[in-house]
Parts: sequence; structure tokens; C-alpha cells
Amino acid sequence: MDKILINILKKVQDKYGYISEKSMKNISVKYNVPLAKLYGVATFYAMFKTERQGKNVIEICGSPSCMLNNGQKIEDFLEKELKIMVGKTTKNKKFSLYKTSCIGCCDEAPAMLLNGKPCTSLTIEKIKKILKNC
Amino acid sequence: MQIELKTDLIALEKAKKMGAKEVLKLLDKKGVVGRGGASFPTGRKWNIALETKSDEKFVICNADEGEPGTFKDKLIIERNAETMIEGILIAAYTIGAKRCFIYLRGEYRYLRKELGRKINRMVKKSGLDVTIDVVMGAGAYICGEETAIIQSIMGHRGHAMYKPPYPPVEGLWGKPTVVNNVETLTCVSQAILFDDWDPSLRLFSLSGNVKNPGVYEFPLGIKMSKILDVVIPQKEIKAVSFGCFGGFMKVKKNMEITHENICKKDCQHGAFSMIFIDETNNIVDVSYTIAKFYTYESCGKCTPCREGTIRLLERIKQVKGGTATKTDLELLKEFAEHVQETSLCGLGQSAGNYILTGLKYFKEDYMKYIKSKK
Repeated sequence: MDKILINILKKVQDKYGYISEKSMKNISVKYNVPLAKLYGVATFYAMFKTERQGKNVIEICGSPSCMLNNGQKIEDFLEKELKIMVGKTTKNKKFSLYKTSCIGCCDEAPAMLLNGKPCTSLTIEKIKKILKNC
Repeated sequence: MQIELKTDLIALEKAKKMGAKEVLKLLDKKGVVGRGGASFPTGRKWNIALETKSDEKFVICNADEGEPGTFKDKLIIERNAETMIEGILIAAYTIGAKRCFIYLRGEYRYLRKELGRKINRMVKKSGLDVTIDVVMGAGAYICGEETAIIQSIMGHRGHAMYKPPYPPVEGLWGKPTVVNNVETLTCVSQAILFDDWDPSLRLFSLSGNVKNPGVYEFPLGIKMSKILDVVIPQKEIKAVSFGCFGGFMKVKKNMEITHENICKKDCQHGAFSMIFIDETNNIVDVSYTIAKFYTYESCGKCTPCREGTIRLLERIKQVKGGTATKTDLELLKEFAEHVQETSLCGLGQSAGNYILTGLKYFKEDYMKYIKSKK
């Protein structure tokens, strides 16, 4: 009871960038949680990934607030520029692109998280700069 | 803003002197209610947990504000986390809990470190034998629902559960648990300490097609025209969407923002997140974004929500694609009603609001996409 499972999974995710089968097996033995249950929990939460991620993880905000402020254009541009669809990782493993429901930066829309930090009031020019600096 | 007032652990000292029963009475008298959307009286919720006999009790601070368009709790965590933490300590003292949790949404993980530092400082200074652990959410909207949070903290998939039993009777690990949101717990400390604390002041998260989006504090009953004066629309505003779940409402400048006025229009105000939509946008396009949101966030436990939200998205897509007929709109409405009536939790039960209110108040937007006369 003292160990919060999703905090444990979060630590593994932060350390390795994803939760591998090997990590899951280790957690299963160490905390006495059935592997099937662990897999069920890990795949329920959008931020837990069971596949290796790119070095930089981009999470685009998909809220109506961002959509009303050119959010779709930002998403389209990122897909075009990185040559991947939302939900995928680039071949060189430099970027993973995801979409979230809302990152709570509606007053600075459109926005996205880059490696967990908010990038706000996005424009195409701003994104070009951000990608260049990655 | 009233919400930024600091209480510096004096509210906790006052609560200790008053004793649990008096604290509950005071909260009732001051009109402290849940600010997450349900507006349940906080004192009554705590009283149930207090009266339920158990060797262990828990307090959970719900910092998983996932509703699109809502960002007021983030402001509180950034500017007045100490007062929120004090609210948690008061709750723990009042119901007799030793272990508390803050369930912080994954998207706010950049706030985690600073929050942890403040918790350590406050708990140490309070002198209470209480621990507060931060549990990081991991991107599941449903975990803003109290039973789903409990499941998540217990290490399960974040599924909503049947109620009753309600959490104050049977919550975390089957023990009495109080779940309150960030704004509510902050208000608790302020209501206890300040004689002139005003219960009618609410935080509004305002965004969309406006020049001055942000979190504002207004009294309930404020006129829409005053809100518009502050946010400054880019163009003529035709609709307000209350987050994703609350539905679309026509903007009338002389309308007063009250619970009754909004609910009479078949909308739900929730935590007062208002997304302003101007005349250049079609409600069907916004609905498409909302439909995608629901499909993505349905937890998959109950069939009407899991399958129904997908069907709703397909039909909205059909409307957008220009191949829908008037009969399809009737079907869309029927579908939305079915999903609402048969889903297990608040997510599914509100998953048709945007369609029902959209069809009711903005039919002309739908008709723009309907080519067939039938």
C-alpha cells in the first residue's frame, strides 16, 4: 500500500524514456504485482509509453482553445516538418510527436509541451526556432 | 484576487482551537462548496468522513484539472500553493486523517518540484503528524473524477466506479476519504481565517477568440457584457463553450452568469471555464475537436461511452464531410441522448452536451454543411 504504482511507473518512464517489458517484469517481481495487471495500468495512461521514445517528446495541445487560435495549423506544420504523423517517432529517434487533450495553457494558445515544459503562443516561426534548438 | 490571500498557517491554528465540529459548522455558515463543478457543500462532505468510524482516513487534493479550457488550479498552485496545502492540513485535522495526497496532473509536471518543497516546509511548520504525498497523474482526463483518482492512487487503471458508496464513506483502500479540488481547499483556509471572505467570488478560466484570455475572479451573477469588456473579443462572439463537457451557449450581453441561467440553457458551468467562439467559426468544427477529445479520453469501462463517443465522432465527421442529411442530424441527436442516458460516470453522461446544445442553439451552423434537402 505504501508504494504508489503509478509513481513507480513514472520513475521508470523518466529514467529510460519508456517502460520496457524488462522493466515491467522487474517491477512485477519487486512489488508483487501481476505482469498482466501492470501492463493494463501502463497502457491505460497516455503518458506511459511501452515503446522507445524520441530524444525530444512534443505534446501538442488539442483543446478547443488552441484549435480556435490556429492550433490545427501548428499540428499540421509539425507533422510536415518532422515527416511523421501524430503518435509516431522520427526514424532518427530525435522527436516523438503526440497530442494531448489540454495542457492548461489556454490563455497562451496555441501551446505544446516540449519534454514536459510548456511552449506557448506558438507561431510557425517560433516552432522552426524551437526545433532548430533541439 | 481573493484567492491569492495567504493564510500563513493561522487558519490551521484557528481550526485547531475551534475543534472539528465547529470547523464544519463554520464552513457551512460561510457557504464553502466544492469548486470542481458539483458545488457539494464541503462541510457536509467532511462531516460524513468524520462520522464514519475507521482506523484510518485519507484526504486527496484533486489537482488533476483536465477539463479543456480550465487553468485556474494551475494559477493557484503557482501563486498560492501554501494556502491550498494549509487547506489539506485543516481537512486532515478535521476528519482525523494522517495521510494525504495531491494528485497532480501529468501535464503540470513542471510544477512538481516547487510544490514538493512547499509541502515539506508547510507540514514541518504545522506540527501535525501528517504526510502529504504527490501522486503524478499520467495523462488520463477521467482521473479528475473522484472515484477514478482513488483507483489510480491504489495502482489500478483509472476507471470511475459506481456510487454509492461515496468516497467519504468508502474511498482509498476502502477507508473514508475526502476528495476536494485545489480551489476548494484554498477557499477552506481563507473562509476560516477571514471574516469578510466572499463565497460568491469564483475563478473563471477565459479563453478562445479573445484578446485578453486568462484567469479572472468575478462574483457569481456578473453580467456577460462585463466579462466581454475584460477579455475583449477579436470579433463578434456568438457562443461560449463551457470546457468540452458543458455544452454551447448563445452569448447574450445582458445575461447574468448564475447556476440557474446556465443550466436552464441545458448547459453545465462546471468550474466556469468559458471558451469564447466568434462568428468566423462554425460550431460543427469546434464540435469535431470536442468529439475527438471524448473518443480519446473515454476510459473504456462502459460500452455506451466507449463505443458511443466513437459513433458520435464518426457522425460529426460525416456532417463536416458534407454527406449528412437532415435525417442524420436527427440520428445524431438520438445517439447523443443515448450516450448521456446510459453511461456510467460524468464523462459519458456529458459526452452529448456539445451536440445537443449545438443542434438546439446553432442549428444554422449544422445546416451550412447539409447539402441535401431531405
